[in-house]
Amino acid sequence: MRFIPFTFVAIVLLSLARQTHAQGLVDGFMRGDRKANLGISYSQETYDSYYINKTQTRDPNLGTVTSQAVNLYGSFGLGYDLDLIVSAPYIRTESNAGYRQKQEGFQDISAALRWEAYDYKFGKARLSWLFAIGYSMPLQNYINDDLIAIGRGSKNLDGRTMLHFKSGPFFLTGQYGYIRRGQVTLDHVVNYYDPDQLNSNSGSKVNVPDVTELIIRTGIVTKPLYVDAWFQQQTPYGEGTNIAPGIPFPTNAVGFSRVGATVYLKVVGQLGLTAGYSTTLDGQNIGKSTRVTGGLVIGRIAR
Amino acid sequence: MNKLLSIVSLSVLFLWVSGCKEPVIDEGVLPFSEPATVDPSGGNWRTIVLKSTGDISVPQPDAITSDAYKSEFAQVKNGVASLEPEKITAINYWAVGGVTRWNQIARQLVAKYNTESGNPLDATNSPASAPFAARLYAALSVAQYDALVVAWRAKYQYNRPSLVDQGVITRAPVANVPSYPSEDAAVAEVSCQMLAYFFPNEAPWLKTKAAEHKQSRIWNGANVSSDIKGGEAIGAAVTTKVVDRLKTDRFSTANDPNNTWTTLLAKAPYDVKWTSLIIPTRPPILPLAGKVKTWFDSTAIAKNLSAAPPATTSASFQKDLTEVRTMADARTRDQSRIAAKWDDGTGTYTIPGHWNMITEEFIHQYRQNELRAARTYALVNRALQDGGTACWATKFTYFVPRPSQIDPTIKTATIISNTPGYTSEHATFASAATAVLLYLFPDEATTLNAQLTEATLSELYGGTSFRFDNEAGAKLGTAVGTIAVESAKADGAK
Repeated sequence: MRFIPFTFVAIVLLSLARQTHAQGLVDGFMRGDRKANLGISYSQETYDSYYINKTQTRDPNLGTVTSQAVNLYGSFGLGYDLDLIVSAPYIRTESNAGYRQKQEGFQDISAALRWEAYDYKFGKARLSWLFAIGYSMPLQNYINDDLIAIGRGSKNLDGRTMLHFKSGPFFLTGQYGYIRRGQVTLDHVVNYYDPDQLNSNSGSKVNVPDVTELIIRTGIVTKPLYVDAWFQQQTPYGEGTNIAPGIPFPTNAVGFSRVGATVYLKVVGQLGLTAGYSTTLDGQNIGKSTRVTGGLVIGRIAR
Repeated sequence: MNKLLSIVSLSVLFLWVSGCKEPVIDEGVLPFSEPATVDPSGGNWRTIVLKSTGDISVPQPDAITSDAYKSEFAQVKNGVASLEPEKITAINYWAVGGVTRWNQIARQLVAKYNTESGNPLDATNSPASAPFAARLYAALSVAQYDALVVAWRAKYQYNRPSLVDQGVITRAPVANVPSYPSEDAAVAEVSCQMLAYFFPNEAPWLKTKAAEHKQSRIWNGANVSSDIKGGEAIGAAVTTKVVDRLKTDRFSTANDPNNTWTTLLAKAPYDVKWTSLIIPTRPPILPLAGKVKTWFDSTAIAKNLSAAPPATTSASFQKDLTEVRTMADARTRDQSRIAAKWDDGTGTYTIPGHWNMITEEFIHQYRQNELRAARTYALVNRALQDGGTACWATKFTYFVPRPSQIDPTIKTATIISNTPGYTSEHATFASAATAVLLYLFPDEATTLNAQLTEATLSELYGGTSFRFDNEAGAKLGTAVGTIAVESAKADGAK
């Protein structure tokens, strides 16, 4: 199984992230040949209830969990039909009840190549068909097996395809992707109980369930203004586990559906401001979180 | 056209990748090998619960010249030649060693039922906490050991030749010992019944496992069915004796049904009293587990119980408090790792189970036969349980708070155990087990001492105990382990 990521990497080295990109790393707007943008954002995400499997619950020993993240994001047009997108977040997560230590550090660096394969014109409207493949890996050896860990520590491969429609200021993008997640090593030996398990001494390595992802985004874009609303759904692919005592967190099947919105306003020259909001509609083995984001962008957010 | 080709190939690749589903956990493969020794005098080793091997009579088997035996033998010999894949899987699974496998099964069941705290949906104390698990592992390995000593005695008394000596080529390696009674059947029966005593809901599953274990020996060409029956009878008889002991070891009241621990708390000779740090607070885990009957000399153990720790007002307490706070404020990644590695909290094999897992590695490395493996586990697990008992006795004498109770700004790397901190259970269990393992595997001193150091410090790194908790725990555990070793020196093995 392990040779598949290798094959992928051999074709081209790239990547894609999760979690810090409330609405996915890649959108439908091509950057343009030798154009670039660079963004820095701050986001705060909180939840006071979470899903054990799909059952919503609260833990008085956890209280409210708050994650703050500073994220660097850049996209560069390598050619008229090829973009490189890179992102890296620094995250701090803590809970306000009980005695859990806070988690802090660089999470995963992600990079993706986006390719506009087809471009159809209907009068003033345009429909493009895009592909992206991405790779992400932890920037440091953070704790991956904790309810409030900053990430799960897996190396991920991401493949997705997008249909992007634009007519005047209006746009609509739909994308569907598959995220393959590699094995992770826990700090302890797995004591996970499974009657079908032949050998109970399975060491510290566990697999992180893969997911599929659907994102639909729509909005308007003009020179000084960009507004969108989006829906994102991640679905675990493969069984995975559910949050329970002794179950390694990285093996949990994680899914969610979220909605959110983004606003961008050009301020002066190449400089613009962004703000975003998102909330979780339902989930599986994840916090029911709400997030607000604010950021600075150099270069246009979309065109 | 080129573009189309790339799209098609990308899509194919995409579908291919998404077509492969992975298991949640990759399982390691255990190698099996013929045991290093057969211990022909094993039938003379001192039994633990049985007064002697004579407590259980093992009937004389049919002679190998009898028709009954000949027909059994022919069936086995022909069977080995044609095996279905699932039978081979069963042979390989059990060829690793029945004692080892049943210990693994016990650990998995402990992990399954060890659900205390952690899960807010289940606010009751676990039925499978560390003292519960220590007692279970001890009872299981003592029962396995006594059954095997009886089996060994009968083996060399009746000397029914092994099937290997009669020309059968086994599929997986076996110890070349007299085949009647089957040591595997004795282990299967005693283990299945002992575990069903602790986990009655698992009885049907355990019976299936035991049946497969016994059958695997016939498929493997190691035993005929009368060997199996002989072993089975021993297993059943020994279970009764061990269960009798369990009924009177005072564990049934360890969870303190009348809440007498609140009286003990009021009387506790320590200046600040422990309180539960769980929200909402819960009664502590098995407050009376310190009163459970010990396996080894109870007078000697009682003499070694820890003295009172330094009062919270003392300079030495303040020094240790500062140490925990400083460490918690700047905990390194490695300290977090060590805390997590030895945590062994809810949903795990528990701390005693962790030491069983470590013991298993040595049993494999030294290719111990079933009897010797059972002796190893029986020694380690009795030391673990007695160490735990002594630790709990100390905890519920002094009721020393955990660091976060004294200073709520101390954040921990692991969940805080719902028991008083003195003495540290991690340090006590680790020292008790290590003392025995050092006696059994003296060449492994480097590995063992390294593990002992980590385990002893793990709670300090995690922020859940003081250095004095650990030091007293280490001293207590070592004392209990040494008492166990003295007993082992006189049990006739070696």
